[in-house]
Amino acid sequence: MLDHIATKQQINLMVRDQRTVQRASGNKLERAFKEARRWTVDWQDLADKIARSKPAWLTAEIVEPVTLQRAKPERPAEITVIATDGSQLFPDRHEVAACYLINIGIIVFHYGTGERPILTSTPTLFYTEDQLFQEWNGKRIPVNADMVGILRGVMELEKLADLTSEIPQSTRKAVALSDGTLIDWTLEGKPDDFKNEMLSRTLAAFEQFEKEKVPVAGYISSSNSADVVNALRVGLCPEDHVPACESCPQRAHHPDFPPCTAIEGVYDRALFGRILKNPGERSVLFGSTSEILKEYGKHRIFFFYVNVGFEIARIEVPAWVAKDAEMMSLVHSVINDQVEKGKGYPIVLAEAHEKAVVRGGDRELFYQLLSETYVRGGVRSEISRKNISKRRLLI
Amino acid sequence: MADKAQPHVGEVIESSTAEFSAESRVLHGAAPFGSYVKIDSYPTIYAIVYNVSTQSIEPNRRPTAYGKTEDELRLEQPQIFELLRTEFTCLIIGYEDETGIYQNLPPHPPKIHNFVHFCSAEEIANFTDKAHYLRPIFSQARVPSDDLTIAAIRNAYHARGENGHYLVKAGKEVARLVKDDYDRLHSILERIHV
Repeated sequence: MLDHIATKQQINLMVRDQRTVQRASGNKLERAFKEARRWTVDWQDLADKIARSKPAWLTAEIVEPVTLQRAKPERPAEITVIATDGSQLFPDRHEVAACYLINIGIIVFHYGTGERPILTSTPTLFYTEDQLFQEWNGKRIPVNADMVGILRGVMELEKLADLTSEIPQSTRKAVALSDGTLIDWTLEGKPDDFKNEMLSRTLAAFEQFEKEKVPVAGYISSSNSADVVNALRVGLCPEDHVPACESCPQRAHHPDFPPCTAIEGVYDRALFGRILKNPGERSVLFGSTSEILKEYGKHRIFFFYVNVGFEIARIEVPAWVAKDAEMMSLVHSVINDQVEKGKGYPIVLAEAHEKAVVRGGDRELFYQLLSETYVRGGVRSEISRKNISKRRLLI
Repeated sequence: MADKAQPHVGEVIESSTAEFSAESRVLHGAAPFGSYVKIDSYPTIYAIVYNVSTQSIEPNRRPTAYGKTEDELRLEQPQIFELLRTEFTCLIIGYEDETGIYQNLPPHPPKIHNFVHFCSAEEIANFTDKAHYLRPIFSQARVPSDDLTIAAIRNAYHARGENGHYLVKAGKEVARLVKDDYDRLHSILERIHV
């Protein structure tokens, strides 16, 4: 039981603290915007300084002047947009059986042609020993929620790549949208076998997109990334090249707030809220320097921000899309059109989510079917005492 | 009326002794109000459509206005037509087995997922040969009974190649049903308007 009074007291405290933080971040945002403009002409100097620095933060690679905007391009009249999203039932050792389920929602919408759209979902049940356990440093560990989440992300991308075959051949243009980041950074620090398998499957999917010439983009709503702001922080550092920050020489003079902290805590989306004044505009491209991307090779991820009218969204694309002006224009126009159609969020992703989602009722039904089928199949099954006690409380 | 080679018009999704609901095979393609339909089961069940509705397939998602024509929507918001469905509800008016046609409720209602077909002109003519079937239509409180009676008579009249004798017979049955409510009788007979 939740103690509402105790909770409310803590909510009051939280709101008071956040109000102070917001006021401070308003000033920081102005400073960040000024910094961005300061590098408009000499952006190459900033890029060079970043290249020779080793900051402790994830820093965007600057390849164009930070404050430039690109106007909204026209969407081709006929285009196919494909999307996937996933959801899962995590392994639950208190349930009838140790297994987990991943459900992938699949969307294919043809615009301007009147062809029938596809809205469907495919569930996959995982139950074999191989699927339930992973080797890690010679130990067998049960697959956890984290790993199921990563597997789900990879399956979303694979399914999306498979969908490229649903695009009518001929000259039809197409864009593939994925919900969330294309950077599998959560793979860092996972068991090697698992990490390698997930990486090679991710890269195989990217290969398929490239072969089919279908640009793929990850759409991130309310992103909390600060890669670009972090790049500007490198610019704020009075040192010629930012050394390893743990041994920051500036701390000798400013022990608590070295100069780079002047814009610390500002999100990229806030900064680009100032830069991208008109709905539809996008920012220039930036390279992501996430550690895991060293393994991505030619599919390294670039990103940009778009003022979609309702928010500043972060869009991620592989390098071969970033380098292709026509593909970039296609992605940019489709993102704007999709958000407009979905009144704030890409309609294909909203529908993919609807198809993928496994609600509480679905979960109950799943376990009910499971135990019934066990009984019919003559397999002994048992729900843990803990779970039974959750269902039947004593007074 | 359609012939037997045509595909089904709907599929039963709710069923009870006196009526059933069917999901239309095609969006906005329900059997029209007042049309005669049948279930090809044993026995064959006859029914008449009394309500047609189209709504979202998910109870928590309501359609919203887009300010676009249907053609524009089909090109630019193709998904919405996959998220809607048309249903029609039918009043069961009788059944038929090898012993004959009965203008009363069948022993069992249609099964869920049974297909619903239009009746052929011949089937309508045979079924409506006796006009007693008008009584359950006429006396149902939950259906728009006057309009349904009018549509039932008109459709049966057309199915018989616009036979005037049938109209007279049906008119007499309506007169019996309304008893002394002459305004109502007048209103119904006027509106049959063939």
